[in-house]
Amino acid sequence: MEIFPALLSVITDPSLLLAIVLAAAVGMVVGATPGLTASAAIAMLLPITFYMSPIFALAFLYVIGKSGRYGGSIAAILFNTPGTAASAATQIDGYPLARTGKAGKAMKVATISSIIGDLMGDILLVIGVGFIAAIALKLGPPETFAIYFAAFVVIGSVIGNSIVKGLASALMGILIAMVGLDPISSEERYTFGSFDLSNGIGLVPLMIGVFVLGEVFAQLGSRSKVTGETKENESTADGNSLTWEEYKPCLPHALRGGFIGAGIGVLPGLGSAIAAFISYGEGKRRARNPEMWGRGALEGVAAPEAANNAVSGPSMAPLLTLGIPGSTIGAILLGVFLIHGIQVGPTLFLTDKELVYKLFACGMLGILAYGLIGYFGATQVARLILKIPTNVLYPLIFLTSFVAAYSARGSMFDVTVMTIAGFAGWLMRKYDFNVAAFVISFVLAKGAEETFRQSLLMSDGGALIFVERPIALAFLLVGIAAMAFRIRGIVKERRVAEGGLGDA
Amino acid sequence: MRAYAEGLVLALIALFALWGAWQVPAASPGDTWAGIVPFSASVALLLLSGLMLAGAARQTAGDTGQDQDNVATLQIIGLFIIALLYQQSFRWFGYLLPTAIVAPVVLYLFGVRSRIGLILSVVLCPLIFHLIFFVLLGVFPPYGEVFDLLSWLQG
Repeated sequence: MEIFPALLSVITDPSLLLAIVLAAAVGMVVGATPGLTASAAIAMLLPITFYMSPIFALAFLYVIGKSGRYGGSIAAILFNTPGTAASAATQIDGYPLARTGKAGKAMKVATISSIIGDLMGDILLVIGVGFIAAIALKLGPPETFAIYFAAFVVIGSVIGNSIVKGLASALMGILIAMVGLDPISSEERYTFGSFDLSNGIGLVPLMIGVFVLGEVFAQLGSRSKVTGETKENESTADGNSLTWEEYKPCLPHALRGGFIGAGIGVLPGLGSAIAAFISYGEGKRRARNPEMWGRGALEGVAAPEAANNAVSGPSMAPLLTLGIPGSTIGAILLGVFLIHGIQVGPTLFLTDKELVYKLFACGMLGILAYGLIGYFGATQVARLILKIPTNVLYPLIFLTSFVAAYSARGSMFDVTVMTIAGFAGWLMRKYDFNVAAFVISFVLAKGAEETFRQSLLMSDGGALIFVERPIALAFLLVGIAAMAFRIRGIVKERRVAEGGLGDA
Repeated sequence: MRAYAEGLVLALIALFALWGAWQVPAASPGDTWAGIVPFSASVALLLLSGLMLAGAARQTAGDTGQDQDNVATLQIIGLFIIALLYQQSFRWFGYLLPTAIVAPVVLYLFGVRSRIGLILSVVLCPLIFHLIFFVLLGVFPPYGEVFDLLSWLQG
């Protein structure tokens, strides 16, 4: 019940409320702008939050992440260009609706479903997070390492098209995190005599490089391929309003989507896109009008949108209770916690419980803020996005990334790291490596190493400790099972594709 | 061909990482070796690169479609070189002068052709970023070892 005093505390703080509303608006614009992502915006704004109080910084970035997930639907429905990967599922029915003059109706369904899904996710988070933290406190180093291992394998193998490239990306993230002094023995690793390298690679410049500068490189590359002009699909007179009778059939899909998204959100690395597509598929399977799905069914907008946003809250659970970020946004937020000297993990609920619940309260108010802005102003946001000159926007983002990387620690070495990380990030995207797995693994590596070596010390160097303890063994098996399922899925997809070609 | 190249690059990275891990001194008695995680990760990466190379060998030839994005790649490499020079020039000339030069160059690369816009960017970009980060946020600006425009302006 800690959430109610926290909500009261946030509501009575006008400056915090203003920050939440501002973050909701920024996130929506960023999410709706094709090519810009909430992760990039958060990474770029991260250094600015050095100068804010922890709750201000966390709430601002957390709400941008939430609102950014919703903002993707604006571009998907109105421009047929998904602003985020997850909103590609919304696009399937959203754009046909927009083409028939029902853009406003589709946007309102997307907004209400996003609010339902997001609130469901947050409520489940508030109920479950204390319970998970209490269990996490009882875990020893072998169990914690096994969870890290499962997270590495799931993140590396489940996201993206190639398991090998996903795992390779995760391993490269681990190797980059090893640069610097060993925290236990203070031995130098991969420093090659450089003083700068002995301090390690900073999280902030790496993230700004990979997500922001890397995106600028990618946008420069895609500029020459863009053809035609993006146009907004305007609503007809009756296509802008939404009645309860119209939304009623969407409600079960939104609620189911909320549960699917919340369930997937707890698992590190899976993310919104998977939740949105699973919810869409499940919704279509159970729909009374499956023949309409894909041609402009309002339920086809509600199901993925609710799931997409429901991921947001529960994805914070592994971060806050175990220190394991489940998404790139979670990884960046972990950076904010560390910058402000807050240790994330099970002890967070003993040391900074009030802050955590205030953050949840800010998230809930953020949902209402983007809901209100979206319900009444989504088309205005779309018009604003059409007016943004991308040929000016990306050069400005380019310049901002340098000064932002420098501002983090006032270090020129960080700027160099950011520049190289930007190019590496672009190369990884170009060759289909998994940037998210790379960054999340970079963040997880230190904790994983610590628990691994503590476990080895506990067992006098014997690796069997991970197999002898049942919880540790269970998590190791979860990781291996996730990879096995993924391999099976890929083999099935290939067989279907080959069969399809054979029939042709 | 591309799959071979990817596998080979990954193998080279893994071998380099393996060599780096091997440089870590041995552990003192009762302690764990500081190189154990880098070593294990390098070996795993080497195995994955082997898998990629094996996969490349199984792939049928003939997927060498004409590379249409050569121009885009060259532009990106150009921008990366500009980025490297830009960050290095902070050390030599501080923040203002390099930003005043790079801003119109990058705008031009992204297709801005308005002369007034480009000229305005020379003044506005360094001014606005300076005001936000170094005045409002109070970050200490990088000092140019060769020539610092900010110091010169401040007398």
